[in-house]
Amino acid sequence: MPILPDTEFLAWHFMPYYDLPENIDDYESLWVDFPNKHFDPKKGHEYYERYLSELVLADKLGFDGVCINEHHNTPYSLMPIPSILAGALIPQTKGKICVMGTPAGLDHPHRLAESYAMLDVMSGGRMEFAFPLGTPMEYWSSNVNPVTARERQREALEVIMKMWTQEGPISHSGRFYNYRYLNMWPRPYQQPHPPVYLVGSGSPGTIELAAEMGFGYSSTFSPIASQLAAQKTLKERAAHYGHTIRPAQVPIVCMCYIGDDDESALAEMEPHVRYFFTTLTRAGRFIDAPGYLSMDEFQKRNGRMLPSSHGGAFDWAQIRQQFRVVAGTAKTVADSIEKWAEEAQTSRVIFQIHRGNMPHWKVVRTITGLANDVIPMLKERRRLADAELSVAAE
Amino acid sequence: MASVLDRTKQALDGFERHEIRINGISTVVYSAGTGEPLVYLHGSGTFTGFGFAQQWIKTHRVIIPYHPGYGESGDDSRIESIHDYVLHYLDLFDALGLERINLVGSSLGGWIASEIAIVQPQRLSRLVLVSPGGLMIKGMPSTDLFSVPPKDLAGYLVVDPAVLAPFMPEGHDIEFMTLRYRETTSSARLIWERPGNPKLDQWLHRVAVSTLLLWGEGDRVKPLAQADTWLRLLPHARLEVMKGVGHLPLDEQPAAAAEIVLNFLKEKPGAARAAAHITKKAS
Repeated sequence: MPILPDTEFLAWHFMPYYDLPENIDDYESLWVDFPNKHFDPKKGHEYYERYLSELVLADKLGFDGVCINEHHNTPYSLMPIPSILAGALIPQTKGKICVMGTPAGLDHPHRLAESYAMLDVMSGGRMEFAFPLGTPMEYWSSNVNPVTARERQREALEVIMKMWTQEGPISHSGRFYNYRYLNMWPRPYQQPHPPVYLVGSGSPGTIELAAEMGFGYSSTFSPIASQLAAQKTLKERAAHYGHTIRPAQVPIVCMCYIGDDDESALAEMEPHVRYFFTTLTRAGRFIDAPGYLSMDEFQKRNGRMLPSSHGGAFDWAQIRQQFRVVAGTAKTVADSIEKWAEEAQTSRVIFQIHRGNMPHWKVVRTITGLANDVIPMLKERRRLADAELSVAAE
Repeated sequence: MASVLDRTKQALDGFERHEIRINGISTVVYSAGTGEPLVYLHGSGTFTGFGFAQQWIKTHRVIIPYHPGYGESGDDSRIESIHDYVLHYLDLFDALGLERINLVGSSLGGWIASEIAIVQPQRLSRLVLVSPGGLMIKGMPSTDLFSVPPKDLAGYLVVDPAVLAPFMPEGHDIEFMTLRYRETTSSARLIWERPGNPKLDQWLHRVAVSTLLLWGEGDRVKPLAQADTWLRLLPHARLEVMKGVGHLPLDEQPAAAAEIVLNFLKEKPGAARAAAHITKKAS
């Protein structure tokens, strides 16, 4: 089946810092306590210039939007404060900007609501926001208690949504936050509020919260089968709360690479995916924080914290089976996207256009191939299918 | 499948197990012996059992409760501050009809015990604080156990890691891991944002009870130097230092440590004060 009508395509950048010491494999973790002497500000500056230019290119070539996210204390990502990058992208882009985003409980919720509203007004309503709980590593890097992270997230989201949707001044009195005057200036451009998603790794608590609030939901690093199961649960639970989840609210995320032929493309992509999974994601003991998981969840996982894809031995075949990974010609990539979008019944496809230590030229080639060939091909197949339908109907 | 925790449970052979609901929390209390009540409050890990308490039951009615969120007691997310623990224990003492007690606390249990002593000093006959937590002393920080890599943990807790070996799991022991995850969660709930009570020093003068501080010379969690601050703040305290011992004196040298506690409980009133100076000089 061709893609759904009005399917949107977005480019997501992780912005890693990969000029790392030669003995990088001696480090148990590249997160939380990985020494920041390895960060060279001059190189950092070049990275920002380059990565922003890659997202701007995606926007110029016709992607519907770009995505950025947030992590702390790690070369895995140069985006501890993604709102700043969004601010830099606004004047250079025309499409959507999705900040995916700051964990609601890791910032003061009133300030987060304000930053995001500013971005929405500045961009003329091009913003979308996804709220993660934040990985355990983010809790090691902050003073927020991981044990109560979920309850705090829920209340922080409540504050943000109140501020965005209710006429101020209003007040809020809760367990974690007490506000006398919430009265934001500016208010968001999009009414009643910008599109909101929760992102996670399939924890039932997060899916339930998204369902209850009628938010979109997406999980990135869980196997395809559990992602699909999560989205099914989301739809069922949302219906229970009186919400209908639209296809645009359940995005899928794909790792893509475009090459001359399938075989060489796969070979060209592999080292970067390998670097991503064996080096950049390696978080050692910080992969868990005390009380981050409920006891039920801990036992369900039999005390193991992560899918085997992360930080362990690299299994290229397994990774390609587990996640949405495709490399090849435009046709190969388009075929995969079509299949994945159909099984997820989504109208929103997010491409991870850069992976691990992928150099600029490979990223440009992928962005160009997706924008000039893959996306038009997918749209054309849709158009042809519609045309056939209308012919058949006549 | 057998868990190493079976060994933990064996440590209290001969004790009676009681399950009492305190304000909705299933609270498990072990008790044995007759005589004056001696309540023991454990630290943030319970996996080593409380074998040393066997020595106390000849002369005392020994009462060992598990804190909410630890060991065999139930979880309750409402217990999230030191104040909650104190009030939970005052409820428990009332429920058990314990009007006057000797109170012994180790590490986290020592913190709870000192806070109980501040609130109800008249309830205590004697107070024993074994490498207690709770005080935040400028320039003399405690080790943050959350930051210690698990493989190094034993070396921080005890001088000779062989002491812990019988209680460590062989292979994947989900029962043991679950206990540790629960207890670490409970501790994080209490001390993730702040590793103690920054105002404890302001109130320790209220502990109008003869107090023994028991410390391991090689304590890498609460450095022995912290004992001086406790001695300065507690009105009736003396210090005993054990050589060759780390943060867990009662586990590392159970016979000797339990005996020091017993001897202190047997001392005539007033002896504590006089001894304070001698011990201080000796250390």
